[in-house]
Amino acid sequence: MKSLKNHLSVIFPLFVLLFSLQFALMSDKIVKSFTQRLTNDYSIVIVAPKKLDEAVLMSKVRGIKSIKEISSKKILDRLKGNISSKNISLLKVALPKFYSIKLKSFPDLKEIEEIKNKLLKTKMVKKVETFAKTHTKVYRVFVLLKSVSFLFSAFILIVSLLLMFKQMRIWLLEHKERMTIMSLFGAPFWMKSAMLYRLAIVDSFVSTVLVSIVYIILPNIEKAKEFTTSLNIKIPEFDIIQDGGLLLGISLIFSLFIVSLVIRKMNTQ
Amino acid sequence: MEHVINAQNLTIGYGKDEPVIVDANLKINQNEFVFITGKSGSGKSTILKSMYGELIPKKGELSVCGVNIKSINNSKLNLLRRYLGIVFQDYRLINEWSVEKNVMLPLMIGGFSKGVCVKQAQKLLKHVKLLHKADKYPLELSGGEQQRVAMARALAHNPVMILADEPTGNLDEYSSEVIWDLLKNAKEHLGTTIVVVTHHIPSTLGIDYKHFFIESGVVYEVS
Repeated sequence: MKSLKNHLSVIFPLFVLLFSLQFALMSDKIVKSFTQRLTNDYSIVIVAPKKLDEAVLMSKVRGIKSIKEISSKKILDRLKGNISSKNISLLKVALPKFYSIKLKSFPDLKEIEEIKNKLLKTKMVKKVETFAKTHTKVYRVFVLLKSVSFLFSAFILIVSLLLMFKQMRIWLLEHKERMTIMSLFGAPFWMKSAMLYRLAIVDSFVSTVLVSIVYIILPNIEKAKEFTTSLNIKIPEFDIIQDGGLLLGISLIFSLFIVSLVIRKMNTQ
Repeated sequence: MEHVINAQNLTIGYGKDEPVIVDANLKINQNEFVFITGKSGSGKSTILKSMYGELIPKKGELSVCGVNIKSINNSKLNLLRRYLGIVFQDYRLINEWSVEKNVMLPLMIGGFSKGVCVKQAQKLLKHVKLLHKADKYPLELSGGEQQRVAMARALAHNPVMILADEPTGNLDEYSSEVIWDLLKNAKEHLGTTIVVVTHHIPSTLGIDYKHFFIESGVVYEVS
């Protein structure tokens, strides 16, 4: 019973730590895919007096992913009923070229301004429409989402760190007597500390398994599915090898570091 | 005869406080039974602590089993302690371990196989009449029983010397008798040197012994 309590008091803060870490990683993945979608949806429209050399423009303005010409056919078709076909032909020649520019990443307001200025400086572009107002609204939501997720993870991380350090002090008291007795009979360092290291390794493994189970089950819970669908986001699948391996590594590093701290403190007392 | 313990002008104390033992000279030979007596707070336990390296002498020389305690490093101290069997007044058993595992401790440290450890622990538990409690935990035993376990642990690895700090201090008559018999047997049959710190020497011991008495920090040999 006492042994179970001992394990649980280590597993719990480790679980919270790993949970918050995985939450931060998951949020990052969601934000990244959300950003990608925003980037794909966002475009700048430019007006050029004549046909653009896309390669030249892309070399002059960094961050452009693609340039696509917007056909003027639709505009002209709409005017067909009101204007004679001769004038339509003239208009076809006189009408400037419209292009839609897609960017490599989702820009902030400053970057949009920079891109706009660079485009205008090329002299190849007459007018730039960045749809800044729409962009700003989306961008603010995006920044808010990122900040909330970061703050939440940081808060949980701090709480779990405090729990771990509290646990470390309990370990210090619990194991000090045993290690002292072993010392009095000439036990080498590795033997005195083996139990603590074993405890750390086993508990790291158990907490990693528990967190992995939660994140494997989470995307399949109906309520969570409904919630994420309503937000138009998808919870990324938990990769047992990559994500699980990372969590195990981090929990091992963290718990072994704390055990080493405890042992060091014991030896210096 | 070889001195297992050789102290010359030994001064011991805690931190910057006044020394507890001043200029002590004592020689303990192999296979001797030694009592160190004195009033409470006279420094009996302090001198014993210096013998197993818990306290480093402030002045003078102290050699235990040929090892100079003053200049000993951690690994040498560990090695030295594997030749000693220590018995404490407060038993100092590992409460999370079974009685049998507690007795096995010095053997485990000595690197013996599990089979050997178990066999030796059971043999000693039989000697101290606690074999039937091998699977119990220390806190499930009485004080006398815990001290008998501590004694079994101290004897488990056939140490060169046993250092016992008030081994019968809190015990009933039966447990005290078991402890004295074990110490006597260790001296007589295994050639172990026994150093016992105590308030009073049992009158029914029936064995030759050396006696040191401590008063006001000075160690006297009682002839």
